[in-house]
Amino acid sequence: MTLNVRIQRPARLDMPFSHETSEEDVDRVLTFPPFSHMDPAKFPSHAPLREILLNDTRILRYRAGDIVVREGDYGNSAYFIMSGSVQVFLNLPKSILGRKEPRRKGLFNAIAQLWRNPTQPEERTLSPDTGVSRVKTRYDKAGNAHVFLQDLPVILGEYETNRIEVGDLFGEISALGRVARTATIVADQETELLEIRWQGLRRLRLFDQRLKEDIDARYRERNLKVHLLQTPLFQHLTLEQLEEVANQVEFQSYGDFDWYGPYKAIMSRSAAERLDHEPIIAEEGHYPNGLILIRSGFVRLSQQFGHGHRTLTYLGRGKIYGLEEIEHNWQSEARISLKHTLRAIGYVDILLVPTHVIESLVLPSLPSAQLRPLVPSNTRHVPVQRDREHERRIDPDFLEFLVDERFINGTSTMMINLDRCTGCDDCVRACATAHENNPRFTRHGKRDGKYLIANACMHCVDPVCLIGCPTGAIHREGFHGHVVIDDTTCVGCSTCANSCPYDNIQMVDIRDENGHLILDERTHAPILKATKCDLCVDQLGGPACQRACPHDALQRIDMSDLFSLSNGPN
Amino acid sequence: MTSFASRRWRNLVICGALSILIVGIHFAYSVTLYRTVFFSGWLLFFVLLALASYNVRKKLPFLPLGTSSSWLQFHIYIGYLTLVLFAIHIGLHVPNGWIEGTLALLYVVVAGSGITGIGLTRWYSRRLAMRGREVIFERIPAMRKHLREDVEDLLVRSAAEMGSTTIADFSSRRVLTNQVIPFLEGPKNFFWHLIGSHRPRDELLTKLQSQDRYFNESERKIAQEIGTLILAKDDLDYHNAHQLVLKYWLFIHIPLSYSLLILSLIHGALASAYRESSS
Repeated sequence: MTLNVRIQRPARLDMPFSHETSEEDVDRVLTFPPFSHMDPAKFPSHAPLREILLNDTRILRYRAGDIVVREGDYGNSAYFIMSGSVQVFLNLPKSILGRKEPRRKGLFNAIAQLWRNPTQPEERTLSPDTGVSRVKTRYDKAGNAHVFLQDLPVILGEYETNRIEVGDLFGEISALGRVARTATIVADQETELLEIRWQGLRRLRLFDQRLKEDIDARYRERNLKVHLLQTPLFQHLTLEQLEEVANQVEFQSYGDFDWYGPYKAIMSRSAAERLDHEPIIAEEGHYPNGLILIRSGFVRLSQQFGHGHRTLTYLGRGKIYGLEEIEHNWQSEARISLKHTLRAIGYVDILLVPTHVIESLVLPSLPSAQLRPLVPSNTRHVPVQRDREHERRIDPDFLEFLVDERFINGTSTMMINLDRCTGCDDCVRACATAHENNPRFTRHGKRDGKYLIANACMHCVDPVCLIGCPTGAIHREGFHGHVVIDDTTCVGCSTCANSCPYDNIQMVDIRDENGHLILDERTHAPILKATKCDLCVDQLGGPACQRACPHDALQRIDMSDLFSLSNGPN
Repeated sequence: MTSFASRRWRNLVICGALSILIVGIHFAYSVTLYRTVFFSGWLLFFVLLALASYNVRKKLPFLPLGTSSSWLQFHIYIGYLTLVLFAIHIGLHVPNGWIEGTLALLYVVVAGSGITGIGLTRWYSRRLAMRGREVIFERIPAMRKHLREDVEDLLVRSAAEMGSTTIADFSSRRVLTNQVIPFLEGPKNFFWHLIGSHRPRDELLTKLQSQDRYFNESERKIAQEIGTLILAKDDLDYHNAHQLVLKYWLFIHIPLSYSLLILSLIHGALASAYRESSS
């Protein structure tokens, strides 16, 4: 007989952000506004205010010059200043932050790779970095890495900054919307910051109206109008009308911010169970109560088919949904309901523009040529984003595979058509040649039919690998937005490799020119470095793998571009 | 993006047009009583040199020299063009000198291996995609060893857990020693796989199934698991055979191409020298 072990179901609060946050810390936090103004009675019994602060926050101590967040970083925390102050730098050169922007090799240096490439795997030179970086890394008592600016007073004199002090909150928009930090924040004295992880911030915002209004007002003020203006639909509005639309927009979030952890477990479930796990944003057959603009994340667009749902496509950042139905209802007496169900895949942030706002302000502003014809009442196929023609050319099963496995996150997904791949490994050899004889991907991975998605960094739209890097070594490079790792600032903590849901980051032992492992002088353990595909960002010709494939079997595909996906390596 | 079919037609048309042009130029030269063999010979040599430059491109993947697939298309269709050039050059006669004979033979083998290679890369890659999961060639020995260990574990388990040695006895006496273990030890049935036959695998499975009557229920399950592992090993052998051919046909094509180039140069130099002395 098998004896089952019974334990209490793990709950969210079983894993506090920090074991060091104490009740005394919470008491202290509650003396600062806005926390002191929060009404504990407004918080539900399953998420009391004190519990949120105890479990979802931690107090961090910084010295003068310590970098709190870097511009371009991805973070899932906001910070509240409890003591001291920080300086906000806009457009601080990346070189100062220790990030070397990849530069393309010249012709001679490119050819010289033939004889200069090291013979040892993962060889590194031990000479000190001679770059212009003005950052150093220090470790605190707990062993956490902190990056600090060496000569803060000089840098403060060189660049324009803004000082923020006790009682201010920063980083909340980036943490809630999973967008890159827009500024570099540096402590300018001994400073205590309360770091609030996104789970806590989301709950505080949910149960405290004042905080919600404050955060929403900041977003409306700083980002919303720009976002709306980037959407062609709103480009015909006057500034006053745009202001009115912005004031009516509702912010909504769906799904799990930490989607990259649980999704692998969800994969083992049936298709129906997987769908049930995805929160519904808008449901087929319901009245379209607003236009949905996707601010971040991905949604699955499905339609009832038999006793299940068939995925028709997926939509990502910047896409809109519901316009066709609203447009139809505005033009015709014969009302139609939503023709599709919209589900959040992972974490999704949306903007909802109420139907009455679209009908009264947006649609009248559109030139008549831009209005779509009415949707025939007997059809179930409402065109989405007008690129359905390409979508129809994608095999539906393959589409389900891409969505279920979250490969839609990739902007340079390596897709190999096995009907054409001969296994010659020219791609692997080319990659190795372009990376000092170290291939940065494996010609192996998940497969659906004739397509293989190889284990190569996909340079994701939502690069979860960037979250938690203590030194900012993994970042998006400025020019193309590729995700790259700065080898000199990587401390080998493996956070990025553990976070990557696709196992596309490898931790490697580094060696000197004699092939000897380079060891940490304190622990004598091998020094690790994170490595991955960088899309040959420093090579003259771009990704060597794709150009090296003789049979057109390998392509790097931007999954947000359904046209290139439908024309992929077929 | 151009579809593969339309690309093929476009390239064939260009290749055909070039062939007609070359035949025309050759005819024009012959009318002028020019010794056309020098024209066709040196043209053939430089075209062969251009074909060989594809291998240099492969060594420089980091330079913006165009995609490897474009180079391969050029390599294939210009390769077809050399068939016309070669036919013109030898005047459709079998060469009689030993250098000319060797050269002609080398050309035929290089061209033949090239054309065979195109067919193999198109045909075998599809076959591999249809059979089992994706297998990396270098990992096949490790995977094979793993499968063998799995079968041995099953045999030990059948004896240890069930107190029965029917499978182990049966296997050790007959199938194990003579069939299963040798089958698992290394790559097998190379040519059977290349012609797409399942006969050796089916025979082995039939032998295993024929012993079903001697097994109890638990042993039957183990025998089924062994059968599944045999199928997995057969898939590995299939991949091994096809990938081996896909990798090693180039070991004929490339070295002989270099031999052809060197001998062509000697042949051209000698022919030119004799031409000078005779004139």
